[in-house]
Amino acid sequence: MMNLKQLLDGIKVKADYISLRSVHTHSAGVYVRNEVLEGVNTFHDHGLMVEVMVGGQLAYAATNSFDPSDVQKAAERAVLSAEHAHRFGLYHFSPNERPKVVGEYSSPAKYGINHFRPADVTELLMNLSSTMNVHEHIISRSAGYGITEMDTHLVATNGTDIRQKIIRSQVSLSATATSEKGTQTRTYGGDKASQTGIEELNLNMLEAEAQRVATEALELLNTEECPSETLDLLLAPDQMYLQIHESIGHPLELDRILGDERNYAGWSFVKPSDFGKLKYGSELMNVTFDPTVVGQHASYFADDIGAVATREYLIRNGILERGLGSLESQKRLGMPGVSSQRATSWNRAPIDRMANVNLEPGTSSMNDMISSIERGILMKTTRSWSIDDYRNKFQFGCEYGQLIENGKLTKLVKNPNYRGITAPFWNQLKMVGDRSTFEVGGLGNCGKGEPNQVIFVGHASPACLFSNIEVFGGGK
Amino acid sequence: MQALQASALEIFAKKIFNELKSDESLTISLSGEETLFTRLSQAKIRQVTNLHQAFVEFTFIKGNRTTNFSLPFKGASEDADVAIKKIRETREWIEKIPEDPFLVRPAYYGVTKEETLESLPLTEEMLTTVLDTSSHVDLAGVFSSGDIVRATINTEGQFHWFKTRNFYLDYSLYNDKQKAVKGLYAGNNWDADGLRTNLKDSEYKLSLMNRESKKIERGSYRVFLAPSAVSELLGTLSWGGVSMGEHKRGNGSLRDLWEGKRKMSEKFSLAEDFSLGMTPRFNDRGEVSPAHLPLIEKGVLKNFLTSTRTANEYKIETNNASDWESMRSPVITTGKLSRNDIFKELGTGLYLSDLHYLNWSDRETARVTGMTRYACFWVENGEIVSPIQDLRFDESYYNLFGEGLVELTDFADLIPSTGSYSQRDVGGSKVPGVLVSDFKFTL
Repeated sequence: MMNLKQLLDGIKVKADYISLRSVHTHSAGVYVRNEVLEGVNTFHDHGLMVEVMVGGQLAYAATNSFDPSDVQKAAERAVLSAEHAHRFGLYHFSPNERPKVVGEYSSPAKYGINHFRPADVTELLMNLSSTMNVHEHIISRSAGYGITEMDTHLVATNGTDIRQKIIRSQVSLSATATSEKGTQTRTYGGDKASQTGIEELNLNMLEAEAQRVATEALELLNTEECPSETLDLLLAPDQMYLQIHESIGHPLELDRILGDERNYAGWSFVKPSDFGKLKYGSELMNVTFDPTVVGQHASYFADDIGAVATREYLIRNGILERGLGSLESQKRLGMPGVSSQRATSWNRAPIDRMANVNLEPGTSSMNDMISSIERGILMKTTRSWSIDDYRNKFQFGCEYGQLIENGKLTKLVKNPNYRGITAPFWNQLKMVGDRSTFEVGGLGNCGKGEPNQVIFVGHASPACLFSNIEVFGGGK
Repeated sequence: MQALQASALEIFAKKIFNELKSDESLTISLSGEETLFTRLSQAKIRQVTNLHQAFVEFTFIKGNRTTNFSLPFKGASEDADVAIKKIRETREWIEKIPEDPFLVRPAYYGVTKEETLESLPLTEEMLTTVLDTSSHVDLAGVFSSGDIVRATINTEGQFHWFKTRNFYLDYSLYNDKQKAVKGLYAGNNWDADGLRTNLKDSEYKLSLMNRESKKIERGSYRVFLAPSAVSELLGTLSWGGVSMGEHKRGNGSLRDLWEGKRKMSEKFSLAEDFSLGMTPRFNDRGEVSPAHLPLIEKGVLKNFLTSTRTANEYKIETNNASDWESMRSPVITTGKLSRNDIFKELGTGLYLSDLHYLNWSDRETARVTGMTRYACFWVENGEIVSPIQDLRFDESYYNLFGEGLVELTDFADLIPSTGSYSQRDVGGSKVPGVLVSDFKFTL
């Protein structure tokens, strides 16, 4: 088979710029429920996206064939589209938005998919499922594992040549307890995807988590509903990931601010004039965009149009500094951004996405935060999420709540939810956990774009304390 | 595109089936498309993507063990060689994994071929009409057109083929106050005049959004949910709400309905109805769902969607639902409220055209939360007063389609699915509007 550079050299069309982005994805996963193997699934995909620029108009054609004649046809389709679109183009770019970059990246994973042994993984997950079978009230317990290797190669007529191998994996556990008092579920791992391999399957650690998950599901059955009150709210990192994602990451995507997403995912309350001025949150709030963190879920060398990744502050001491926008959005808005134009695979054009968006740790220990609270609640683990199309009014639900009274953790409560409005919420951030509370997470299913596409992202955060937040429980 | 030809799949499958041993069976399902996506903003082209894609998913059974794998499909002869190589590799480990006690073996589910391939103008021509017609408004959205294929074939001789050629313009129009209305023009037959009428209607609705927006305080209000809002509610209900498996595993949201502890309104009936013709009746196994399956009939639960695997596990009857056990072609029965009487019957309250970002607030009590979006109005004494600032709601399906349901419209809108995660969706829903006596807004 021809290599990508040869395929590119063989294309005969008239264009100012052409790139080929090949994406080869190989995934494998096992899922066990109630000690029954539900599935061993593997996924192979390989395809190519041709990008052309004709008179400043970009257009794309994607194909799963690497035959030179099919690649030529794809390029011809892309050029035809670019020529037709030119008259109606929203913005015409220049080759400046496609820098020449040569480099490579490889995840720090030690054992990739070649080391995936279905029988071994199944046995481990069966053990975990069995570990969660602690009581007859645990009617459903599941354990899953997935690993994905994605090899991307980007070459372009300007000499760009970037190869990136990203290996990601994730274990997930879930236990559902049911009685006449209702149903409660506790999970682990759904937000802990990372750029690691099979080496991360640590049975001892996972067995402890399985035990905890099942025990907590049972405990929650016998608790009261979360009260409906305005309380101090202490969010654990595994809820902070979602809070960051929905109320910082998405509103700061520059293509949203430009209005590109209006018909689907929505707009943003952030305006271009807010950068450098808007007090997004309290001065304790520091948020970075950082695809250079070793092993974090969305780390890479460069995005899918060749912009090299660097660590940048999005919010510093509470003030909005920079948006999540690629070279294209930066040009359209005339403001700086980050390396963030990413596509789910070969079959979608890249758009502005999050990568790793992290809240930097502060100086308060968990004990500092808890002991400072007269009446409050600790919430852990995302269960439900909803936010408006400007990223303002949100409502989030968690799996686990525990009241904090007079500086101490007291009784558990079930179905804890909270609601708020983004900027006021972040301005009520009154304490930020230190490194001892800091955890690193990753999610695989951030959805956006027309046509729709998912992307994997990373979030890291300490525990954080917010004052006077409206909380409430479930029930009629 | 060769991969979207039935003959290509048949040749491919035959070569692979010949490779199989006596204790092996295989189901192959194909998903493919040839689509042009054009992303629009400010009535201009933001991004245009031509897509040729197809992939095949295999359910391979050896003895009492099974595995699924997925490969790209080009419709070329070497595709079968790749699949055969994968099967040979699979044989090396499959006997080391546990047997599957709920295995669903392939069976003969018949042979069907359904193609809706009306001739469409060139996409560039349709797009030019869209953009020329909307050049004076701020239009954002996506125009998609092309062919979609879904098919399954198995070692028992079953073969189902569904191919459709369609287009949709999924869009919204914006005024200079950032208020918007939502529109959709979709179908198998292009009608430029139909498009122009559709856009004109949307422009009229947009003119109503020019008035100053009213802030609505939290509380319960009488509301009218337009069909597109009801369709969003059905989408969330489909997320575990009508699944037998989720119910059995404790995650279902209609347990009280199942146990007869609660009912919905006698006016409310929901069914899976494949006469809409927007999606194939066969699932990924090739099992053919009933043409009409009542889920809730006059407020009483009749059926949860039950896949054969769930049926095997819990020793109950299957209704050939997909493995996800989510609705593929839902229809809500119409009522008596005529279009002309909507505002009169609403009286004073809120008209909600669309809802956004719905999610379960509390599954156990079937509570859902979400936001209002697009052309939502405050109405007084049957007259539109003003658009509203967006609102968050948190309400139970038992109220929406139960105690709080006043009436459904006597008409229903056909709403095709325009989702395109990994591939363009097929399917859609047919739903009326719903008048609700009290609908809770929380923020």
